[in-house]
Amino acid sequence: MISLCYNIPVVLTEGLSKRYGPQVAVEGLSLQVGAGEVYALLGPNGAGKTTALRMLATLVRPTAGRAEVAGFDVRKEPLEVRRRLGLVNGGMRVYDRLTGREVLAFFASFYGLEGQAFREALDWVVALLSMEETLDKRVMEMSTGMRQKVVIARAILHRPPVLFLDEATAGLDVFARRALLDFVKGYRDLGNAILYSTHVMSEAEELADRVGFLHQGRLIYEGSKEEALAMGEGSLERAFIRKVRGAA
Amino acid sequence: MKPVWRIAWKELVQVFRDRKLVFSTLILPVLLMPVFMFGPHLFLSRLLEGTSAKVQEVAVAGLPQEALEALLEANLAPKPVADPERAVREGEYPAGVVHEEGRYRVFGRLAGGVSESQVAVSKAQAALQGLKEKKVAEALAAKGISLDLLHPFQVETVDASPPREKAGGLLGFLLPFFLVVFILSGGQVVAVDATSGEKEKGTLEALLAAPVPLLHLALGKTLATVTMALLSGVAGLLGLALGEVLSTRLGGELLSKGGQVLSLGGQIQLDGGGFLALFLTAFLLALFMGAVMVALGLYARSFKEAQSYMAPLQLLALFPLLFLQFRGFFELQPWHHLIPLFNTALLMDALLKGQAEGLQVALTWGSTLVYGALALLLAVRVFAREDVVFRN
Repeated sequence: MISLCYNIPVVLTEGLSKRYGPQVAVEGLSLQVGAGEVYALLGPNGAGKTTALRMLATLVRPTAGRAEVAGFDVRKEPLEVRRRLGLVNGGMRVYDRLTGREVLAFFASFYGLEGQAFREALDWVVALLSMEETLDKRVMEMSTGMRQKVVIARAILHRPPVLFLDEATAGLDVFARRALLDFVKGYRDLGNAILYSTHVMSEAEELADRVGFLHQGRLIYEGSKEEALAMGEGSLERAFIRKVRGAA
Repeated sequence: MKPVWRIAWKELVQVFRDRKLVFSTLILPVLLMPVFMFGPHLFLSRLLEGTSAKVQEVAVAGLPQEALEALLEANLAPKPVADPERAVREGEYPAGVVHEEGRYRVFGRLAGGVSESQVAVSKAQAALQGLKEKKVAEALAAKGISLDLLHPFQVETVDASPPREKAGGLLGFLLPFFLVVFILSGGQVVAVDATSGEKEKGTLEALLAAPVPLLHLALGKTLATVTMALLSGVAGLLGLALGEVLSTRLGGELLSKGGQVLSLGGQIQLDGGGFLALFLTAFLLALFMGAVMVALGLYARSFKEAQSYMAPLQLLALFPLLFLQFRGFFELQPWHHLIPLFNTALLMDALLKGQAEGLQVALTWGSTLVYGALALLLAVRVFAREDVVFRN
């Protein structure tokens, strides 16, 4: 388990860029996310949100710029970064022929959580996500909501100080979506930094402390949620559209 | 190294919980091998036996009485027709015989494998050969010449192979052949599921986001592939052994009284060290092929695409084994033991025949280990390629 001092930027990027040949996926992204904060990265599909998160999660190498997660450089110390973060995306699945408990034990072992340490972590995550019923069921027998709980539990079992969620509510029903949003708020309140990427503005309105608008790979606006709402006359969607039109 | 075992465990549990997959990969070969070995042989023997006993009608033209009698004695029923060749061609008769200008011509439809026509032709040929020998003997006797004049000496061929080589027989070729087939088909199941399968199901990204070095990831998946490949190889060999036992025990009884005992033409005579060497050779082969399959599987966008890569790989892997049949035509050079796949096949053959030499063992194991390591590095490089890992 890793704890960090409150208010220190846990995620830091400076001029972070990714190009695929001539195609720009992300260009000069600079942002900071502090402990105990939900930063909503907003943009339509194809804006570069997933690529940005993948760079921060060390899954994709940046072509320019730098980034640190929990004090570790994503290029130089990818394993240290991965030890300190949890990643959930909408398309993410877990092994359908394993039980919930087996999936969690499998991933926990990579963080050194075995034996008593695993049992304690399991108790914590089961209580946090109310997922007792999923433990001894095979994933293939679970509902979508139950599966999503296992996906999230897998990502936070080692209590990472940084959590990345990328379109995490995609495909979820209303109950599962509500459970996820409540979880995000609760996890933020535990002092963790959360980078929440979505194109659903209403989720950002509910969760975010700060927002960033990503459009065609570029961060075109960053500010507190209140400032953004004021700019959009109470609507993040309106604020986003105005900013995009202004940038065009 | 713990993550390696964990990943291998996860891959194997995923596969072993799929009952259909376990049945088709591990149980079916044990059941099917005896059927493949025993069934066609038994069926064909029974068929040939029945056809030989049956009296076939034969189209004939211009045959003298003595030839007609010879055909009758050979269980054939000669039927005079104007054009026996046409009658056979059009399927009216299985065989035909024409006698003109002192020459017998036997017609049959011989293309397309064993048939009733082939059996009838053989019977007619044997009958006419017998008639010919009888007439030669009568002519020689009329001139007071001994029949021994035609047989001034006997020719006898003796197999001087060492006993172990003789015992090995066809197994020297069949064992590596089946091992490669089963290693590839068994390993493929895990390799595809663990790579492109993970991509397609959306589970790979979570694994890549965990703090596991790519080498451990590739090693874990390769280890699972190797385990399944070896299990599949063992299942195939068990089936082979079961078929051999059934063939030897039941073959003579199931066939006609004078029927041959079915056999693969060999038996394994290996001591503990030989078995260990054979297993190690199979393990290194599985390691090499496993790493190749993992790299290929990950490169594919989908399960389907991965399977389409595996089919040519199987053909490619079996190709060198075909040359094993011709190993007697060339003198083996040290570099032959460096050719991937061919070297392991040669070594298995040599181990079975008790002819393996230190240099051959060292070159084969060493080079296969190097090929395996290179394939593993390739797999790691493929895992590191984000354009490959995230495309689907």
